[in-house]
Amino acid sequence: MSLYGLMAVFAEPEALIEAARGMRERGYRRMDAFSPFPMKELDGILEIPKTRLPWIVLAGGIAGAVLVYALIWYSVEIDYPVNVGGRPLHSWPPFVVIAFEAGILGAAFAGFLGVLAANGLPRYHHPVFNAESFSYARGGKFYLLIETADPKYRKGVTRGQLTRLGAELVEEVEA
Amino acid sequence: MAEASANNPVVLRGRHDFPEISGRIGSIVLNGRLPRHFWTAFFLCFLLILLLLYSITYLIAVGVGGLGINMPVVWGTMISNFVWWIGIGHAGTLISAVLLLLRQPWRASINRFAEAMTLFAVAMAGLFPILHLGRPWFFYWLLPLPNVHMHWPQWRSPLVWDFAAIATYATVSLLFWYMGLLPDLAVLRDRARSRPAQLFYGILALGWRGSAYHWARYQVVYFLLAALATPLVVSVHSIVSLDFTFAITPGYHSTIFPPYFVAGALLSGFAMVLTIAIPLRWAFSVKDLITLRHMDNAAKLMIAAGMVVAYGYVSEAFFAWYSGEPYERAMMAQRALGPYAPLFWIMLSLNCGVLQLLWFRGIRRNMPLLFAIAVAINVGMWIERYIIVVTGPSRDYLPTSWGEQSLTWLDFGILFGSIGTFFALVFLFIRILPAITIFEVEELAEEEGKLG
Repeated sequence: MSLYGLMAVFAEPEALIEAARGMRERGYRRMDAFSPFPMKELDGILEIPKTRLPWIVLAGGIAGAVLVYALIWYSVEIDYPVNVGGRPLHSWPPFVVIAFEAGILGAAFAGFLGVLAANGLPRYHHPVFNAESFSYARGGKFYLLIETADPKYRKGVTRGQLTRLGAELVEEVEA
Repeated sequence: MAEASANNPVVLRGRHDFPEISGRIGSIVLNGRLPRHFWTAFFLCFLLILLLLYSITYLIAVGVGGLGINMPVVWGTMISNFVWWIGIGHAGTLISAVLLLLRQPWRASINRFAEAMTLFAVAMAGLFPILHLGRPWFFYWLLPLPNVHMHWPQWRSPLVWDFAAIATYATVSLLFWYMGLLPDLAVLRDRARSRPAQLFYGILALGWRGSAYHWARYQVVYFLLAALATPLVVSVHSIVSLDFTFAITPGYHSTIFPPYFVAGALLSGFAMVLTIAIPLRWAFSVKDLITLRHMDNAAKLMIAAGMVVAYGYVSEAFFAWYSGEPYERAMMAQRALGPYAPLFWIMLSLNCGVLQLLWFRGIRRNMPLLFAIAVAINVGMWIERYIIVVTGPSRDYLPTSWGEQSLTWLDFGILFGSIGTFFALVFLFIRILPAITIFEVEELAEEEGKLG
């Protein structure tokens, strides 16, 4: 079996941040950190790019509103025009209400499906689950993963560095 | 965080660590050894579900004549139940979305069940307009579907807006709730011992692994969904109120309705949050996670919303008089002195009178008393909805046709049946899913230095 990476286990969130920073300073780039709750500090250390999902949400909202407004416009002007005492067919204020709701619905779907797609979820299996120690079962542990694909990765060296940075345990993760 | 004082209890009490938090919250679900009174209460709710099923069957078989409605009052408990349930749902969204945007840390332990409450309340609310149709099997005519009649919904009708608003609200609430659940489902997946539980939570968790890259996107989108839910929740109850205000019926036709309905929704919603949270924290010994601070804040929000509702009552009465419209004035006088007067005064004494007790800190921190007040407000808000729905049409522009409606067993069967079904769903939720957000409580414990 080929190796996917090295998984280092930390007991404290601060230890994970210290270790991530330390490994980064040593030149590692193909890293990922795992925590039971979001940790803002990791975004900077791992140089996680700013997500473009807000634009997807905006596009979903506009698409929902425009599509539904267009549907209403089509129905009142073309497919089913009803002349009520000469009043305008395209009486827009009431139509805005439904278009607004549709906009919210479109944006929410775009956001929810977008975050799943961007994260590659749902996913049946991932190599990190091969690590014995990787589990929420005993509550929150904090994990740092160095991938073997990292150009700086040397089996013994990397393990030693992780241990010196305070890892409780360093485990090889099979791909 | 500063040390707690008697005046300002802390959000989390005592020292915690991560295994303890996720273990305690998770074990409520995974061990499944729930106290006997839990199942007793569930059984009572189950009886009410049977009552609901019987009542609905009767209603569909016999028709809406089985309800107390009659000309001229053709809107009855179905509509007031609908408005009441939707309102109850709104507090859940307010807690989960608005307090998230305002970065109020105290929401963390109560947002999950408040969101679940929203979902179940909206599910109940959705029943009533459909049952009230008389021919409920044609409800899909409200949707713009291709059909052999070649017609379309009437887009200018508030009833069609209502359908769009409720459907959107239910869907967005579900997405927001499920997204919040994802990390906790991963915790349950890893903690589960039995194979069926591992499969169940494993499939629902969608392979969540808590990667820093995932969390970064997750948080951005979670905040965006909260930002979307906030205008949505205001629009939903405003649209519900437009069902009334678009008619010229005295007592319906008023511009105060949208804000007044939203405030009423928050008042009844927070009352329901307390009605569920007080027994929950007692029964599952999570008094250190859901603390007096939560109860205190919810009670304060109740009084804030309640004062806006009181302003709504005053404004309604004032503008009925100020309009100079004889029928508006007559309706308002009849509401206070006519056949529905007892209900009207009970409503005022509960929603405006009993509510004032919450100004006192001692009462806000006294759980049995706070629970009693919350139940009283729930009752008061139901009566308010009923008064609004029935007094207008009972005193409209043709005094010769003034008349009242009665309440039959079917009205109460459906109301209490829906209450029972709602609580049964809440019980099932507590049994199957973590009722307290594990990852947010852990984050809060970390931020507040409450780790021992």
